Amino acid sequence: MAYMSMGEAHRRITEFLNRFSDAVFSQDVASLKSLFALSSNPPFLLSVADALNIFQDANRLIKQSDKYSQFGEILVPLFRSLQNYKQGSLVEAYQAFEKTANAFIQEFRNWESAWALEALCVIVYEIRILAERADRELSSSGKSPEKLKGAGSFLMKVFGALAGKGSKRMGALYVTCQLFKIYFKLGTVHLCRSVIRSIETARIFDFEEFPKRDKVTYMYYTGRLEVFNENFPAADTKLSYALKHCNPKSEANIRMILKYLIPVKLSIGILPKDWLLERYNLLEYNNVVQALRRGDLRLLRSALQDHEDRFLRSGVYLVLEKLELQAYQRLVKKIYIIQKQKDPSKAHQVKLEVIVKALKWLEIDMDVDEVECIMAILIYKNLVKGYFAHKSKVVVLSKQDPFPKLNGKPVNS
Amino acid sequence: MATEPKPATEDVKIDLFEDDDEFEEFEINEEWDGKEEGKEVTQQWEDDWDDDDVSDDFSLQLRRELESNTEKN
Repeated sequence: MAYMSMGEAHRRITEFLNRFSDAVFSQDVASLKSLFALSSNPPFLLSVADALNIFQDANRLIKQSDKYSQFGEILVPLFRSLQNYKQGSLVEAYQAFEKTANAFIQEFRNWESAWALEALCVIVYEIRILAERADRELSSSGKSPEKLKGAGSFLMKVFGALAGKGSKRMGALYVTCQLFKIYFKLGTVHLCRSVIRSIETARIFDFEEFPKRDKVTYMYYTGRLEVFNENFPAADTKLSYALKHCNPKSEANIRMILKYLIPVKLSIGILPKDWLLERYNLLEYNNVVQALRRGDLRLLRSALQDHEDRFLRSGVYLVLEKLELQAYQRLVKKIYIIQKQKDPSKAHQVKLEVIVKALKWLEIDMDVDEVECIMAILIYKNLVKGYFAHKSKVVVLSKQDPFPKLNGKPVNS
Repeated sequence: MATEPKPATEDVKIDLFEDDDEFEEFEINEEWDGKEEGKEVTQQWEDDWDDDDVSDDFSLQLRRELESNTEKN
């Protein structure tokens, strides 16, 4: 740190205080929000932090003038947070910042208009980021990380201050998205439910009125929740919304949406084009798609095995595993078409023995009884139309549409 | 019966959210042109891919396999 004189330190602290009070009195949200954004390390805030280390009596400056002291409950802990942040004491920085945030909400509630909403959003973001860093600090010193959980409870309070209250409600979806990020990180996704309910049941407010960035983020996370619940049509709707409206320049976000949307689409019988997999580097899905196209069960199994870790981590493994039924359907259909080309009159009768042979060729060891069982499931799930001639071990396929397509609907459960 | 020392299988709990695919923040004021969004990516799906074509390599091999089987029977 370059040397800073006492006078210079005093000057910077006063400048901070003036910027703060000017921003509040002139309702200049752009200026106000910049004073809270410490995690992005803006030079001005860092220099104020240095000044606070030199000029130890900043709190006296706050008390001296009514212009500042009325915001003392915001400013005193904010200075403490800044100082600790600069020194790398993140737990302290977080705790102080939460006090600042608390006091800010009190003020915000009293302001009739929503002019300071963007500043509140910055505070909400900072709370989450500082809590994450504080938790990292806690776990590296062998203590139990608990700040992010605390940040979650705090954001619920902020949510309460916004929900259902005129133009302030515009910020409710932003807070919801930050809560989702916390809950997904902590693995407590069940906590999303109550926030979702309150967003989706408030009919007085049209969802479309929220800012686009929040709508896209919201649809990404609720879409993922639907994937975990195996509610594929709903997951498709939400993730497709996110994909459609995402900023085309946000490639990482588009890739993340696709990571979940692709397995959803596959499970309702829709394939991504190769271009999409290459463009967004989702090559782990290449062989899965290829396997479905061919009815190649061996390829499907090896594709799942090759990327097992990745698919388990993102939670789509079970979704992909269920694609086996579609691969069986495709394989039986191929057998049927090949038979038909040879002898159209007998094509509707598929011997179970033939399917056993095809599977053996794909290195899948099943006897006739097991194949019969698989065929029964395919018929039950309406992936195959037909019946068994049990004695002769033959599946008799329906002459009309023996292999119904999914057409965007999930396999019957 | 010799009790084999249990390998120290650490309880590898696979946390589904470990790498939690956190959506990147959009800027607070980030806006983008509605006309540009989603043009390319939403058209990259095939609904009707399930055709009757069996001329690909996989199908040809399958056919060979099935035919060799019928000869054996």
